[in-house]
Amino acid sequence: MDTILNAIPNLLGSGAGNLAAYLAAHVLLCLLPAFYIAGAMTALIPKETITRYLGRNTPKFISYPAAAAGGFLLAVCSCTVIPLFAGIYKKGAGLGPAITFLFVAPAVNILALSYTGAVLGLDLAIARLVLAIVFGIGVGLIMALIFWREDAQRDQKTDHMFAGQASMSRSSMIFLLVLVFLLIAGTFQIDLLTTSYFQLDLPLAGVDRFQEYLFQLVPFDPSLGEEGVTAQGALLIGLLVLIGLTAWKGLEKIFDGFNAWTWISTGLVGLTLLVASLGINPYPGGVELMLTGKFFAVLVSTLVLGWMMATQLSREETRNFLWETWRFIKQIFPLLVVGVFAVGVIRELIRPEWIQAVAGENTVLGNFVGVVFGVFMYFPTLIEVPIAQMFLRLGMHRGPLLAYLISDPELSLQSILITTSIIGRLKTWVYVFWVSIFSTLAGLLYGAWIDGTSLLLVSLYLLGILLVTSGVIWLLNHRKQDPPEAAAVPVYKE
Amino acid sequence: MLTIKILGTGCPNCKRLESETRKAVESLNAEAEYIKVTDYQDIMSYDLLSTPGLVINEKVVASGKIPSQGELTSMVTSALAES
Repeated sequence: MDTILNAIPNLLGSGAGNLAAYLAAHVLLCLLPAFYIAGAMTALIPKETITRYLGRNTPKFISYPAAAAGGFLLAVCSCTVIPLFAGIYKKGAGLGPAITFLFVAPAVNILALSYTGAVLGLDLAIARLVLAIVFGIGVGLIMALIFWREDAQRDQKTDHMFAGQASMSRSSMIFLLVLVFLLIAGTFQIDLLTTSYFQLDLPLAGVDRFQEYLFQLVPFDPSLGEEGVTAQGALLIGLLVLIGLTAWKGLEKIFDGFNAWTWISTGLVGLTLLVASLGINPYPGGVELMLTGKFFAVLVSTLVLGWMMATQLSREETRNFLWETWRFIKQIFPLLVVGVFAVGVIRELIRPEWIQAVAGENTVLGNFVGVVFGVFMYFPTLIEVPIAQMFLRLGMHRGPLLAYLISDPELSLQSILITTSIIGRLKTWVYVFWVSIFSTLAGLLYGAWIDGTSLLLVSLYLLGILLVTSGVIWLLNHRKQDPPEAAAVPVYKE
Repeated sequence: MLTIKILGTGCPNCKRLESETRKAVESLNAEAEYIKVTDYQDIMSYDLLSTPGLVINEKVVASGKIPSQGELTSMVTSALAES
């Protein structure tokens, strides 16, 4: 009993430490712009720009990549994913592209990608993006082949739902690009951005003692990759609370019109980004501010964004943009904070030896265990990233880690149930089977690259897998050309 | 009398869409019956690719976004003219 009681402060400390690291400057610089990009994508990209390529009469070599692109551009929340999935399946391009869309959407949305990049490394984020798209198209093709007969019998109504034409206004396109630039400038660790060009000394005494006090309050172990709460971190947390409060007054009621709070909270977000991009170095008797390349990049892009919101975007666009962003933050951020804290607590309870024994190396078993864990555990959006970070620190190999990262948002009991209600039980379980296979393969390939296999060889493996799969598809399809009714349905031409 | 259906599984945007629509209907002094459609199978029987969806007299007039007050009033006005 005593040991349990003694362990509690330790556990809470670990949770708080994890949360502090999460709110650290470099994560904020990635996540805050990512939320805004997600909001801008939802509000400013008309869905018709993608959905018109997902109609019944679109050729396959266009509809599959379009489905993958749709997963990236349109699907930040489940309220888009499921209806669009059902629509493509029942009334549009069919089962294959619908499955591709379903596979790609949760794995590569902008929030998940940039968060993965900031916390786990850019290579993992890129691997997640590329492999999810390649295998998403693969799974879609396979599903379309296995169930080709039913696909041919779908209702042949006209696809007017997919005929809509709309284009993005030029200013919202530029707005989105500037946001992406902000994200890249905030996230990339290259010399041009991290070098400090000017130093400012502020005679603020006591900041260093404040930071010492924070370090004592939240103990951390740099050898484990943990970060403590710096004075800058504390300032950022304070600013975040302020943003939350002002946004509640300014954005929650944005449909009744803009008010002063709307602009105050938006301004505070810009200020937070600027503070996060500064290098802040407290020393006895003062504080040294380092104006890095990052700071100037953030300064310029936030000014451009502010100017565009005030003069270039229509009121409607600005309103929708702010509302969607706020909705994402409100929906995801609190869960993320709780999740990150919980992960910090749990980390103390797992022995590194367990993880290392099972998934410490890039084996088939290790990758498969990663996938199984991903399928049976359900975590809210984005929580998979801190969990993956926990596994990484406990000694998991990056290969199995990617296998887990691809399969976790993809498959959960909840998503399997919803999918079942749309495409039926048999198709769903076949889908689950193929996702497990492909996630395991993705982990193995990426793991091989980490272990030193050259990129060329890994690409060759990937190509080989795709060739074998498409060969099998072609063979099966070839056999199926024989029955007379198939002649009318040119699913795959020879 | 209009029949207005709000299609969506209860995400914040569906609630927002309903309150915005109510506002538009009230401003026109029209009467309407509101029905929330939350079951996926029922939602899918309408032609739309994203929620929230707005259906007036069984016709999908908006989906995937919250129309502005101006758009909403013109939708309601034309539905009133047709009925």
